[in-house]
Amino acid sequence: MGKPLNYSYYPGCSLHASASEYDLSTRELFNVLGIGLTEVPDWFCCGATPAHNVDELLSLALCAKNLELADKVEGDMAVACASCFSRLKTAQHVLGVSDVKRTQVEKAIDAPVKLDSNVKHLLEILAKDLGLERLAAAVNKPLSGLKVACYYGCLLTRPSDVPNLDCAEAPTIMEKVIEAVGAETVAWTHRLECCGANFTLSRPGVVIQLTNAVLESAKAAGADCIMVGCPLCHGNLDIRQKEIEGVYNTSYGLPVFYLTQLIGISVGLGADKLGLDAMMVNPMPLLKEKGLL
Amino acid sequence: MIKKKMIISQETMDVDFVRKVEALAGTSVRRCFQCGKCSAGCPMATFMEHPPNRIMRLLQLGQWQRVLAGRSIWYCVSCETCTTRCPNTVDLASIMDALRKLSWDSDGASKESYVQLANKLFLQNIRTYGRQYEMRLAAVFNVKSGQFLKDLMLGPKLIAKGKLKMFHSKNKNISEIEKIFTRIEEMRKKGDAL
Amino acid sequence: MSRIGVFICHCGENISRTVDVERVAQEVGRLPGVAFSTDYKYMCSDPGQTLVKKAIQEQKLSHVVVAACSPRMHEKTFRKAVEAAGLNPFLCEMANIREHCSWVHENREEATVKAIDIVGMMVERVKKNRILPTITVPVTKRALVIGGGIAGIQAALDIADCGHEVILVEREPSIGGHMAQLSETFPTLDCSQCIMTPKMVDVANHPKIKLYTYSEIELVEGYIGNFQVTIKKKARSVDEDKCTGCGVCMTKCPQKKIPNKFDQNIGMRTAIYVPFPQAVPNTPVIDRDNCTWFKTGKCGVCQKVCGPGAIDFEQQDTLIVEAVGAIVVSTGFDLYTIAEKPKGSPIKGYGEFGHGKIPDVIDGMTFERLASASGPTGGKILRPSDGKEPKQIVFIQCVGSRAREKGISYCSKVCCMYTAKHTMLYHHKVHDGQAYVFFMDARTPGKSYDEFWRRSIEEEEAVYIRGMVSRLYQKGDKIVVMGSDISVGVQVEIEADMVVLATAIQPQKGADALAQKLGISYDKYHFYSEAHAKLRPVECATAGIYLAGACQGPKDIPETVSQASAAAAKVMALFSRNQMEREPIVARVREAGCVGCFACKKVCAYGAVEEKEIRDRQGNLIKVVAYVNPGVCAGCGTCQATCPSKSVELDGYTDEQIIAMIEAL
Ligand SMILES: Cc1cc2nc3c(=O)[nH]c(=O)nc-3n(C[C@H](O)[C@H](O)[C@H](O)COP(=O)(O)OP(=O)(O)OC[C@H]3O[C@@H](n4cnc5c(N)ncnc54)[C@H](O)[C@@H]3O)c2cc1C
Ligand code: SF4
Ligand code: SF4
Ligand code: SF4
Ligand code: SF4
Repeated sequence: MGKPLNYSYYPGCSLHASASEYDLSTRELFNVLGIGLTEVPDWFCCGATPAHNVDELLSLALCAKNLELADKVEGDMAVACASCFSRLKTAQHVLGVSDVKRTQVEKAIDAPVKLDSNVKHLLEILAKDLGLERLAAAVNKPLSGLKVACYYGCLLTRPSDVPNLDCAEAPTIMEKVIEAVGAETVAWTHRLECCGANFTLSRPGVVIQLTNAVLESAKAAGADCIMVGCPLCHGNLDIRQKEIEGVYNTSYGLPVFYLTQLIGISVGLGADKLGLDAMMVNPMPLLKEKGLL
Repeated sequence: MIKKKMIISQETMDVDFVRKVEALAGTSVRRCFQCGKCSAGCPMATFMEHPPNRIMRLLQLGQWQRVLAGRSIWYCVSCETCTTRCPNTVDLASIMDALRKLSWDSDGASKESYVQLANKLFLQNIRTYGRQYEMRLAAVFNVKSGQFLKDLMLGPKLIAKGKLKMFHSKNKNISEIEKIFTRIEEMRKKGDAL
Repeated sequence: MSRIGVFICHCGENISRTVDVERVAQEVGRLPGVAFSTDYKYMCSDPGQTLVKKAIQEQKLSHVVVAACSPRMHEKTFRKAVEAAGLNPFLCEMANIREHCSWVHENREEATVKAIDIVGMMVERVKKNRILPTITVPVTKRALVIGGGIAGIQAALDIADCGHEVILVEREPSIGGHMAQLSETFPTLDCSQCIMTPKMVDVANHPKIKLYTYSEIELVEGYIGNFQVTIKKKARSVDEDKCTGCGVCMTKCPQKKIPNKFDQNIGMRTAIYVPFPQAVPNTPVIDRDNCTWFKTGKCGVCQKVCGPGAIDFEQQDTLIVEAVGAIVVSTGFDLYTIAEKPKGSPIKGYGEFGHGKIPDVIDGMTFERLASASGPTGGKILRPSDGKEPKQIVFIQCVGSRAREKGISYCSKVCCMYTAKHTMLYHHKVHDGQAYVFFMDARTPGKSYDEFWRRSIEEEEAVYIRGMVSRLYQKGDKIVVMGSDISVGVQVEIEADMVVLATAIQPQKGADALAQKLGISYDKYHFYSEAHAKLRPVECATAGIYLAGACQGPKDIPETVSQASAAAAKVMALFSRNQMEREPIVARVREAGCVGCFACKKVCAYGAVEEKEIRDRQGNLIKVVAYVNPGVCAGCGTCQATCPSKSVELDGYTDEQIIAMIEAL
């Protein structure tokens, strides 16, 4: 066993609301895996897309503030939401290369900018810090026979040199993680295509079109379900799936799991500890069929 | 649609605007050589009247009015595909951010009211609560955008699944967030920041 | 007392625009030791040089300073003029007031003051210049040509036809290079093999050409006119003298499924093989990594069937030393691949195009092999995945080229033209098919080139789409091409049967290692550098070494052949003399001061420092000192800077001269 793993945990706004099952399953899974999570005290919203969309300075300042708050907790920063992850990483990158912007942000938060903390997405912690071997060792209910379509979306890997999680164009980290717990993965064409993200509020029509293409591709590749690491992707793929089926007069029936939910199943956590009942596309028939619950 | 002839001269090419965009976006506008790879991969290109490469072109010519007059920049979803694949390492997604900021500042030069409204509400929420409360965001958005019935079917289901919280609390350190907002406003007033 | 003449050049307006040249002439005229100073519009012109010569004679000048452009440009010119006027050429120095002054400053007053300083420094320096005798060295009239592509073949034939011996070294088992792989060639569409093979045979039969194939350069020593080159001849496992080239061995070899690199790995070959039927020499080699005998000690079928008993499993690599007077480097290019590159590599692959894992996404050279009558499909365009004929074929230009993000920003120059050619070949072979080309712009300068490109569109019905491709992915047995047409301003999607990528031209792998052996310079991509981009495009800065073909930068065949013949002409000019002169800017050891530490020997990149024994009259050894071989010394001055006892001095750049310059400031 390696050294104990402890992180400052930044759930992000969605995990306290529409993605509460992501939060729940993350805490439960990490508990089982012996990874310590301490929530960043009084964290703020990172600003997400709306902030950087119209006000980069505000976006950078909010991220810098959160980095400062996280600094008070020991350990690297564990981030669950791909959007928060992307914002925090981008802020670190921009503040690292631009003196002008760093000075402005320091004025805005009235504190020095802290850039040395390591911001990590949960995937990175599982695949690299814990390691695939230790992850596999914790499995008591391998996800054998479950065909998973891993959906990266946009923000986990793009642009190439910023998040540094994996290759921007041909990432494998999700596949590696879920294969480590016994699942099969499918090769599919749309794992990196955009779902429409936060347009879900302002332009649902666009989201429906883009998300449909993603669902269609996963289904065509023979997937049983989709795995995501982002509440925005989840919202579009899961919450809007029924609506999309209606618009396109088709049926996908693809449960959309957070990575922590699927891995949670493999380490023996029950449905109640993983928030499976919060999923709009009911995963129970699939899980029963595969003998996983 | 009638397209106005573009009269090009040193006067009509607004280089200062371009410099402002470059400063905000931290990337070069001139570097783009119009290969169109950004537009080829942009998930939103079909919704835009100017595909991303043309936005770059108009910028190169200093024709910002043409860029801001349309909705294109508000259809960009910040997926970063363009930035990732540009052969010239032009950070086009950041240019889009910069353009939206400049449009936002000039208050309504661009016509994409829904996205603007959503952004506005989102930022207001942060300012008031420190965090985002989706229920409130969605409800207010629907009221303000006059689409009372939008996603009506989803609401109750989400509440039943615990996905929309009816009540929310403020951050304990909420005053700090207000300070950040005001400091930025002051810096801008003084001209210390764009 | 020295009588120095100072000549200030206006360089048209290049210098006089920012530097007050008259004032410079006046002020330096007052410096001690300066007997004459003047300015003139073009000092390098004939009247300008005459002015210098006349002044030397009339004013009885002892030294000359020409304040003008860089010495790289005109030092030779003025030293020649000075020599013609009866002065030793090394008593003339140039002060660079153009590149170092007028071109880089705007303020006239400041630039003028700086120019006066620069000239003043050179005045002090030239006072300490010594008369240097020119050094002559003998010339070995044999040439080495490295790389047997069309460039090397052409250079070798030209030099050999002039009556000089040529050693041609090729790394692969056969000469021919990339041109041998091509099907038909732009802009005339003549068959590459048909024009190439006769030249290859000429090489094989030429009495003056000694061919080493399957060989590499191990070591290069010496200098212009006198190189010693060590060549490693790799074990072929076949005795070249005994082999008749009958080919029986290849028909019997049981290992038949080895991808043939010559066919871009789509065709197969045996373990004992010649890369292609027209190979020169026609002697097979055994690929030891794939041969059953070498892997298991069993088999030996080829040995049993070979009539003349040419198979020799025991053969070893051998080293051969050859003396040559000049070297032509013609190692050609390699094609960029979109495969994932190792972490930390400055060049990136194309994940968005599938990193080379989509079977029917091929490169241009693979297309050449498919289109070639002697290729693996007998000239039929067939998909590698299932052997079907593609009906919708997409070509993408500038893959890897003009892509800073991937680490290459240059244009590969030949791919616009060969892509146009490919659309034609495709149209000739698949009548009911359609070719599409994604491109940014068509770069077709060259005789009949643009007409060729237009023909592909107007007559051969290729559809050119101005825009690049964001992503390629496999969908069923189709490849989805996500592109855009920027003229129309819309996204374009094509479901293609096959995609051909015009990938970038890169220098050969190992080009940097060879350059280091040769002591020649290369750019950041490892293309070899010419001595002057415009005026010395076929010579290296290292004397006696010349460049030909794509190793210097992307080139098509006509350009390659022109450069090869030009390099050959340079070699022949060198060989027209029995002896040659070289600049006496070499290091000299003051033997009295030398303590024999040989720090200089360790740092000399050219191996010019030798050990010399000093003996008294009885022959007793007194000490061992360093000796700089003036024939080898390149005049870099590293030894001078290294010597702890200050006993080495570089003629023309002595400490005394440098200190005089500093003190003049
Ligand atoms: C797909 C494609 C199609 C083309 N079509 C055309 C066309 O239609 N018309 C046209 O004009 N041009 C065409 N070209 C360009 C043409 O191929 C080049 O101009 C030409 O091959 C350059 O010749 P070269 O001798 O300089 O290099 P090469 O052909 O690369 O030859 C170099 C030789 O040096 C050898 N070598 C390398 N390193 C060493 C070493 N260290 N020691 C010893 N030997 C070494 C190599 O093995 C090789 O034999 C095409 C190029 C491509 C990629
Ligand atoms: S991909 Fe880059 S270079 Fe090409 S058009 Fe877009 S911004 Fe310009
Ligand atoms: S970031 Fe915006 S412009 Fe760029 S590809 Fe995505 S949606 Fe299109
Ligand atoms: S090695 Fe022997 S069998 Fe093979 S080609 Fe030469 S002579 Fe013929
Ligand atoms: S020659 Fe044409 S295809 Fe090749 S890099 Fe240059 S522009 Fe691109």
